[in-house]
Amino acid sequence: MTIKKILIANRGEIALRIHRACHEMGIKTVAAHSTADADAMHVRLADEAICIGPPPAVDSYLNIPNIISAAELAHADAIHPGYGFLSENAQFAEIVELHNIVWIGPKPEHIRTMGDKVEAKRTAAKLGLPLVPGSDGPVEEFAEARRIAGETGYPIIIKAASGGGGRGMKVVRTERELEAQMMQARSEAKNAFGDDTVYIEKYLDDPRHIEFQVFGDGQGNAIHLGERDCSLQRRHQKVLEEAPSPVITEEQRARMGAIVVKAMAEMGYRGAGTIEFLYENGEFYFIEMNTRLQVEHPVTEMITGIDLVREQIRIASGEGLSCRQEQVQFRGHAIECRINAEDPQTFAPSPGLVKNYVAPGGMHVRVDSGLYAGYRVPPYYDSMIGKLIVYGTTRERCILRLRRALEEFVVEGMKTTIPLHQKLVDDPEFRSGDYTIKWLEQWLARQEVEQDV
Amino acid sequence: MTDSDGNAETGMQVDADLVRQLAELLNENDLTEIEVEDGSRRIVVKRQLVAAPLAAPAIAPAPAPAAAHSEQAPAATADDIARNHPGLVKSPMVGTAYLAGEPGAEPFVAPGTRVAAGDTLLLIEAMKVMNAIAAPRGGTVTQILVQNAQPVEYDQPLVVIE
Repeated sequence: MTIKKILIANRGEIALRIHRACHEMGIKTVAAHSTADADAMHVRLADEAICIGPPPAVDSYLNIPNIISAAELAHADAIHPGYGFLSENAQFAEIVELHNIVWIGPKPEHIRTMGDKVEAKRTAAKLGLPLVPGSDGPVEEFAEARRIAGETGYPIIIKAASGGGGRGMKVVRTERELEAQMMQARSEAKNAFGDDTVYIEKYLDDPRHIEFQVFGDGQGNAIHLGERDCSLQRRHQKVLEEAPSPVITEEQRARMGAIVVKAMAEMGYRGAGTIEFLYENGEFYFIEMNTRLQVEHPVTEMITGIDLVREQIRIASGEGLSCRQEQVQFRGHAIECRINAEDPQTFAPSPGLVKNYVAPGGMHVRVDSGLYAGYRVPPYYDSMIGKLIVYGTTRERCILRLRRALEEFVVEGMKTTIPLHQKLVDDPEFRSGDYTIKWLEQWLARQEVEQDV
Repeated sequence: MTDSDGNAETGMQVDADLVRQLAELLNENDLTEIEVEDGSRRIVVKRQLVAAPLAAPAIAPAPAPAAAHSEQAPAATADDIARNHPGLVKSPMVGTAYLAGEPGAEPFVAPGTRVAAGDTLLLIEAMKVMNAIAAPRGGTVTQILVQNAQPVEYDQPLVVIE
């Protein structure tokens, strides 16, 4: 069906991103927003705006009745859920489809399968994806846990089946700690996700986080758009991402790419998806799949020239994939810096009024942000206020351009993590591409020490 | 433009010629809003982009990036005054407002109706379910800011109870 109007059920930079893709396709937009976001850039630019609730997400961006109601009132043909919020809520997806509104996302059953991390691993195994060794499924009894942990070999990590995105995980280094850590993991999982099911995996020593972007048309056709290296993380939150990964060869990309494509084709996957791996000593280990668009999608866009949001909308309209795998080309290098309204050293949130805003520009410099001078960053949501994405023909040139762009970036009125990124791009280990998922936290600790000295 | 019910309470004279002049100025110069203040009198004339309010339930057309937040079809001036009124009752949900229990029936309330806390002021239908919007306090209904079958958003001004 031809989609003529899309309701954007999200906020911030991704809502603006979706709005832009829509207008470039001649599709009208409806911005569903909370009272706190009444002056958001995408709300001002959208063709229509509907207030769906007060600031707390649970009453607005997670308020299914209000969002569905808004879509009906505005006669929206489709809903785009962005990332976070309801984007991986299978029940919401089902409700949207039940109301004869197009859901711009995967089939609800796949959202459900991949949302349960135990089920996701089982499915991944069946589809031939290599797994992190560990328990075959949920672990109920402590005796079972002890046996599996022993077989797998310490250190192990206890993960919540309903967790994901870096939450609900406990590292166990010796058998002595296992029982206590398991009890704690279960009770925390119960509190955070309403489900205390846990499973066990080998805790990899010092891996990189490498994920593959995939698209499926829901009819058994799928393509991959290469990998992204998202190893630079702090407390399991990504800080900077790049594509391609500095350590992945063309051969590895083609090999893993073929594996994930085959898996998605077999699954009959529809829409955008990302398959996340831990990568160590040349081996890939599946950890989870995200059934939505990711924050860091722009780096893939920069090196492939493909608009991923447009692709999502095309697929949702029934127009299928825009190209075949052979037509996908990877050129150059792209890096994205997540800019947060936080103190660059303590990471304390710093929302406030943007008194002056000057975004960097120039060749191959892209800023995805809803900020403007006079905008007040609300304190109710996550602290990411924008993304700076830079492209270069080589990684070295990309880094030099990133350095130049960061110099120009002005956000006055609050603290931002721009200075953090400026230090990062000058670091020799970052420049050499030699880093793992532990690297950034160790680097930050070193900065603190140097600070005190 | 305000309806006479809203004006009756305050006794303000509407200078129809002035309003017509302002409307012409608006159209000739392709403006979306003109505001004129003269002592204690203030007139705001806004252009709405929705051609047929009933046929096209566009909730809140945003004509330009610099435009203010969404406004509804009638009562532009009354809306501005009502937004800050202490007796304002706002919508707690997104849906369609109905002023009567069923088509053809008497509206629940009209300007002048006395209500007690808990009395039904209007209904908001969302996803085929009718929700009664109750008066949060007792008083007299002085303004009804929505039309029958009008789409409403969260926090939309519905009724003023004084």
